[in-house]
Amino acid sequence: MNTIWALTGVVIKELYRRKDFYVLFVLTALITIAAGSVRFFQDPNIVRYVKDLCMLLIWISALLITIATAARQIPAERESRTIFPLLAKPVTRGQVILGKFFGCWLASGLVLVVFYTFFAIVTGSREQYWPVADYFQALMLQWIMLGIVTAMTLLGSIIFAAPSSTVTILFIVVAGILFLGGHLNTVALHNAEPLRSLIYTIYFIIPHLELFDVRERVVNDWGLVSWLDCGLAALYAVAYTGLFLLLTWLAFRRKSLT
Amino acid sequence: MDAILQTENLCVEYRARGLRREIKPALKGLNLSIHAGEVFGFLGPNGAGKTTTINVLLGFIPPTRGTAYLFGIDVRQPIARQRIGYLPEMTYYYKFLTAEELLRFYARVFGLPRLEADKRIDELLKLVELESARKRLIKTYSKGMQQRVGIAQALINDPDLLILDEPTSGLDPLGRMKVREIIQRLKEEGKTVFFSSHELGEVETVCDRVAIINRGELKAVGGVAEVIGPNHTNLEKAFLDIIGYQSQSAS
Amino acid sequence: MKKPSPYWLLALLLTLCVTLATVFVARAAWWNEVPTAADWNKGQSAADNVFKLLLGEGRRLFGNEMFVMADAYFHSGYYPSIFDRQETEHDVAMPAHGQVEDKNSTSDDFLGPPPDWIAALHRHFVPNMHTHLDDGGPSGHMRETEVQEILPWLKLATDMNPQYIEAYRVGGYWLRRLHKPVAARDFLFEGLQNNPGNSELLFDLGWLYNKDFHDANRARNVWLAALQSWQAQDITTRSSVDGANGKRLYDGITVNLAEVEEHAGNWSQALKYLEMAKQVSPYSNDIQKQIDEARAKMTGQSGAPKP
Repeated sequence: MNTIWALTGVVIKELYRRKDFYVLFVLTALITIAAGSVRFFQDPNIVRYVKDLCMLLIWISALLITIATAARQIPAERESRTIFPLLAKPVTRGQVILGKFFGCWLASGLVLVVFYTFFAIVTGSREQYWPVADYFQALMLQWIMLGIVTAMTLLGSIIFAAPSSTVTILFIVVAGILFLGGHLNTVALHNAEPLRSLIYTIYFIIPHLELFDVRERVVNDWGLVSWLDCGLAALYAVAYTGLFLLLTWLAFRRKSLT
Repeated sequence: MDAILQTENLCVEYRARGLRREIKPALKGLNLSIHAGEVFGFLGPNGAGKTTTINVLLGFIPPTRGTAYLFGIDVRQPIARQRIGYLPEMTYYYKFLTAEELLRFYARVFGLPRLEADKRIDELLKLVELESARKRLIKTYSKGMQQRVGIAQALINDPDLLILDEPTSGLDPLGRMKVREIIQRLKEEGKTVFFSSHELGEVETVCDRVAIINRGELKAVGGVAEVIGPNHTNLEKAFLDIIGYQSQSAS
Repeated sequence: MKKPSPYWLLALLLTLCVTLATVFVARAAWWNEVPTAADWNKGQSAADNVFKLLLGEGRRLFGNEMFVMADAYFHSGYYPSIFDRQETEHDVAMPAHGQVEDKNSTSDDFLGPPPDWIAALHRHFVPNMHTHLDDGGPSGHMRETEVQEILPWLKLATDMNPQYIEAYRVGGYWLRRLHKPVAARDFLFEGLQNNPGNSELLFDLGWLYNKDFHDANRARNVWLAALQSWQAQDITTRSSVDGANGKRLYDGITVNLAEVEEHAGNWSQALKYLEMAKQVSPYSNDIQKQIDEARAKMTGQSGAPKP
């Protein structure tokens, strides 16, 4: 486990020494503050659209950071050849995968903490109301979802040629799942066989990332999701994350290091 | 005496890309045996199979046939690398880390306790003369400094076997001298050093034994004097003769 | 000082060029022709704003979506997706002008029973109950002021599609309910500026003057303008604006005019408007009663001999 945590620490250091996170955070902050400074009908208490916009930006930024960070881990190690002195130590390829996964995932968690703190401050200053439990739950669910995305991206980084193609493809796949994944069953009903069966198969195979999107509940003050449901969703996430990590290891263990 | 590095009939074949998928042999039945305390030079022209041999020993690529052992453990087991240090030819380190962070990372990988790691890092940074630059990011280092970081990371676990791939490549004469001094010091401490090099003058100076490989086959192995033999004046001439090089003037 | 990378400078220059080009193209035609008062009087109702500049006519689609966002906010996020909207024919619309959404309507059933375990689990993570913001919202607490949350989307809807009459009307209605009559008036004025002579907006403005500003005279004048505007429309326009028989707005205008005239004691005028309303109102019996009462009051006032 020492090796895995050591690798995790390196990934986190890399994240906060790169500029991606700061640029996206500043962009999110600027857009949120600009949107929040607009006074519709001179009413300072209107806040939901700010919450909605800020949460959307948090989701986009977190996904960008997670996918971009995970997509370059293994390819960058191979390209810069830092994989060689690493694997020359008593380190297995499986440990490298796990270390990279935990590093990217924990890094995304830290990113979320910063973004959600900003979100709470901005909206709380308008609403004079801090539903900390709601925000915490939303953060946890999003973080769990990012675990699946991290694992998927690591797998993509082994399969696809370049980090840029991994980022593009994974971003499209993730966006597609978020927007369409939950509605594929409806789409399937409107199609004849064999397309219906194909769409239904895809519907049941894909990881349903939209399960973890509780933005509507947070923005519209619906209160907490039952912790039992959160637990079920977490188990679902663990299963998919484990599957993707296993596939990543299977793909990586025979892969040439150059 | 048990060999700490041993290969038995080691073969590595690469399958070429394309329709034909020709097999290209990189190593053909390599048999090597290196004992504790030796400084062993591994020589050969470009493309001879030196790097392939090192890659197999370090577990980067699996052998097609044959076996290789480090300290009696199959090289495919990660634990075989617990007591070795590796210095790659090119400086391949995380540019966003400082030298101290890099060494601490590798110390953690080896499972060194914190206090011991701190002590070791201080010693190594002093040895490679990077104390003043320990907090600077590696991306700000010169090539020579990066090479010295490499030497430090190769020694972080106080290895019993050091595998060096062209350790003086790209270094100025001062840097080369320092590397030779380090190798000499390690030898005096009873460590084993296995290194590949094109600098035959250096090899002749520091090595106890040498092996010459060409086109995947072991052509000669033995003490330096033994390999030079009575027919050659220096290792370079012997090397050229063994690999079958004929100068145009001679022909 | 570190020199900036040339690529950043190039990106900045490109951004500046594109921005200037966008702005100048819009102004180029104007520079060639100096606008006169006649141009403004042509009845150009299109607002020349940044959305039109950037998006062209496509902005109207966005405007429609902004209105849908307002509706979604009104229902606290419980709203059919574009896939669900195809499924149900029922129009999930916000109540306005005193209309009350039928609680027994199928609009809260757009989700239907979950078809599989994934959909069933997903229901727990999204809004899953039909609520209205003015009715307590998801928390159930009476906080009518939370309806203000829909206002930004209505404003954006009208900014993107200045011909979106419904957005002006709904915005005006909720601003009134939020006790912001001045803001409601200004919003309706903006709608009339972009849609000169629109009978619906004039009707709403008259209502505002009558009920919130208690200015019956002004309300009468505005309603008269609404009536004239309605009568000037052809039957097709009336039908598209005011339902299949195109009469609901006419009914509202005439009834309210009658009420104002009654309060002012102008019985003959009141009777005239009630007769007009009776022709189209679905409550013609009630209107007839009002006509009889008005006649009785008019006769009483004129000093008819008592039996």
